Amino acid sequence: MNISVPRVGSMQYMAQDLCDRLGLGFVETPEYTERTVERGVAIAPEFVCFPMKVLLGSAIESLEAGADTLVTVAGYGACRFNYFAEIQRRILEREGYRFQIVVFDSPRDSLGDFYRNLRVVLRGSSVHFPGLVREMSLAVRKGWAYDEIGKRALAIRALEAEVGAVDAAIAECREILACARTRPQIEEAGKAIAERFDRVPVDEERPHIRVGITGEIMMSLEPYFNCDIERWLARNGAVIERSIYMSDLFTPRGRNPVSGRDDAEIGRVALPYLGHEIGGHGQINVAAAADYARRGFDAILHFFPFTCLPEIIAKMVFTRLAQDFDTPILSVSIDEQTGRAGLQTRLEALIDLAWSRHDRITQQKELDPLCCTKG
Amino acid sequence: MRVGVPRALLYHHYGECWTSFLEAVGIEPVVTEATTSDTVVHGAVLSDNETCLPVKVFAGHLLQLKENTDAVLVPRVVSQYDGMKACPKYLGLPDMARSFDPALPPVMAPVMDLADRRGRWAREWYQLARDTGASDHCADDAVKSLLRGLREVEAQPQGFSDLTPQAPRRDGEVVVADDPRSFTVGVAGHLYNVYDSRASLGMLGRIGQMGARIRTVDEVSRRDVRRQLKTLPRKIRWDFESRMVGAVLHWSRTRSVAGVIYVSSFACGPGSMIGALIEDQMNREDSVPLMSIILDEHSGEGGLITRIEAFLDMVRRSNQGTSEDEVRRGVAKR
Repeated sequence: MNISVPRVGSMQYMAQDLCDRLGLGFVETPEYTERTVERGVAIAPEFVCFPMKVLLGSAIESLEAGADTLVTVAGYGACRFNYFAEIQRRILEREGYRFQIVVFDSPRDSLGDFYRNLRVVLRGSSVHFPGLVREMSLAVRKGWAYDEIGKRALAIRALEAEVGAVDAAIAECREILACARTRPQIEEAGKAIAERFDRVPVDEERPHIRVGITGEIMMSLEPYFNCDIERWLARNGAVIERSIYMSDLFTPRGRNPVSGRDDAEIGRVALPYLGHEIGGHGQINVAAAADYARRGFDAILHFFPFTCLPEIIAKMVFTRLAQDFDTPILSVSIDEQTGRAGLQTRLEALIDLAWSRHDRITQQKELDPLCCTKG
Repeated sequence: MRVGVPRALLYHHYGECWTSFLEAVGIEPVVTEATTSDTVVHGAVLSDNETCLPVKVFAGHLLQLKENTDAVLVPRVVSQYDGMKACPKYLGLPDMARSFDPALPPVMAPVMDLADRRGRWAREWYQLARDTGASDHCADDAVKSLLRGLREVEAQPQGFSDLTPQAPRRDGEVVVADDPRSFTVGVAGHLYNVYDSRASLGMLGRIGQMGARIRTVDEVSRRDVRRQLKTLPRKIRWDFESRMVGAVLHWSRTRSVAGVIYVSSFACGPGSMIGALIEDQMNREDSVPLMSIILDEHSGEGGLITRIEAFLDMVRRSNQGTSEDEVRRGVAKR
């Protein structure tokens, strides 16, 4: 059995680690390219959202690379992703591919289905059930550490004293983590990662702006879709925080250790703008944006695929949020037609706005050190 | 106190229950008039350009309530049926309503979660009634009658037509009643599109005039829907969309219609998924012809008429054999 999972954030990393632990075959999903998008768009229904079109193209590529079992998740509530796996199966069957697909819903929805799906995946493995739970929890732990590397890199990339210092740290940390297997080893690796990042030479005095990135998970995590926004922002002097990490979503009971906001807090922070969970990650993003705005971030970026249901609601709510806190928020909708140049122009405009806001507030603080920032 | 109720979205399902609740607690409900072109244009300007047509229509209706009401009622519908979930747009509708225009009257957003059989959500309606100054006794009665009304709507699958006087379904039936060669088409679409004669550009009336009888999704009983849905490998979790799929499968598998017209709006999320599902499933079963029509605020009547005509002609041919004579007579008669 050769398993393949969607390529979103650290999902590949966690799945590969888990397959190694269970002795299952794993096929890495190829990197996204223009060709992936084209092939997906060609066979996808016209009005499904962009990530689904891409995932279709991507599934074809991994099937061609030798995968025979597509494992995916569907626990996204009311968002259309909930039914995507079924549509994907039908389309790929129509196209003549032979494969099996295993769709994991949240175990909270149906523990029985979750268990049955596990049995299907485990057919090729010698690991027994209690062992499986342990290995799964270890793989998720490793995912936390992996995402933690990304989070720390975002926070200091704009301030690195010498070019390439952060990239070197990332590479080194990933190597440290790759060797970790047991729980003490992973915890050890976590400490080593923190230490390694503390040693990165940082120019604290350099003027910088703070930018929050929120949005639909695939668009905000995958550099292919957002034009490698993290590096671009860092080059323009932005320290970044991101609202969403893949390993958080696999953590039970909504603790979200990487982004550090648990589900109860998310509901509370989002409440003035969004009174209910709306499927997908809409609530998480609204909460994150409200939090960024309250903490005085200079700009907020919001990525979502064209006509994304939860994120459109978030976008409409953001107009109110932006007025309340006087924070510029740019919502960027992405699909197969998105041009890089157009995106670049809008991002530049946002960064200009953020810098002028930053300068204005710094000046105000110099004139009157006691005045707090607005909001 | 005057409370506005926009004639849009789920008003077409539960409107009567909501207005009678308001009346019961001594509030004068102000329901907007039927959608006009102006409503759509103003709504489209006000709301985000990536939302679906019904939300834009909703925004247009909301705008009409700006001047003459003290508050607007936009219930947050979390689910309509057992084990189901509403479209995210319903879940976030009150929040969207608040961010359309700061000058709009305050939004009352009690939760409606019909999957919760214990009715814990009814507390919010009770609280709403108390906040507007109703007595304990009066609020209690109003909530109880609301619950009763909602149960009736659910139990009575054909109860919607009275709610929507602008629905031209009946004329459609009259026109073709004595034509022995007429046939039936199923129109599968959200009620707020199909029964809103501006949003759907009078589609039902036109189909009727062209000589076909019409079935709509709300006429199919819940039992038939459930039976059909059980045959699908994966459960659909959206309320009304699951019903649409069940109804289409019921029509096509019992051959009670000669063709199906699937009506959805541009950027409708659940609609985009079940549209693909219906298409694939009917294709696999080699079923009756299917046409899908996607509506948005730019839809023109001309294009719609041509497409419906072409579809009905095709259905007529496949329905009555391809005798050239008959086809010619059919065309001449029209």
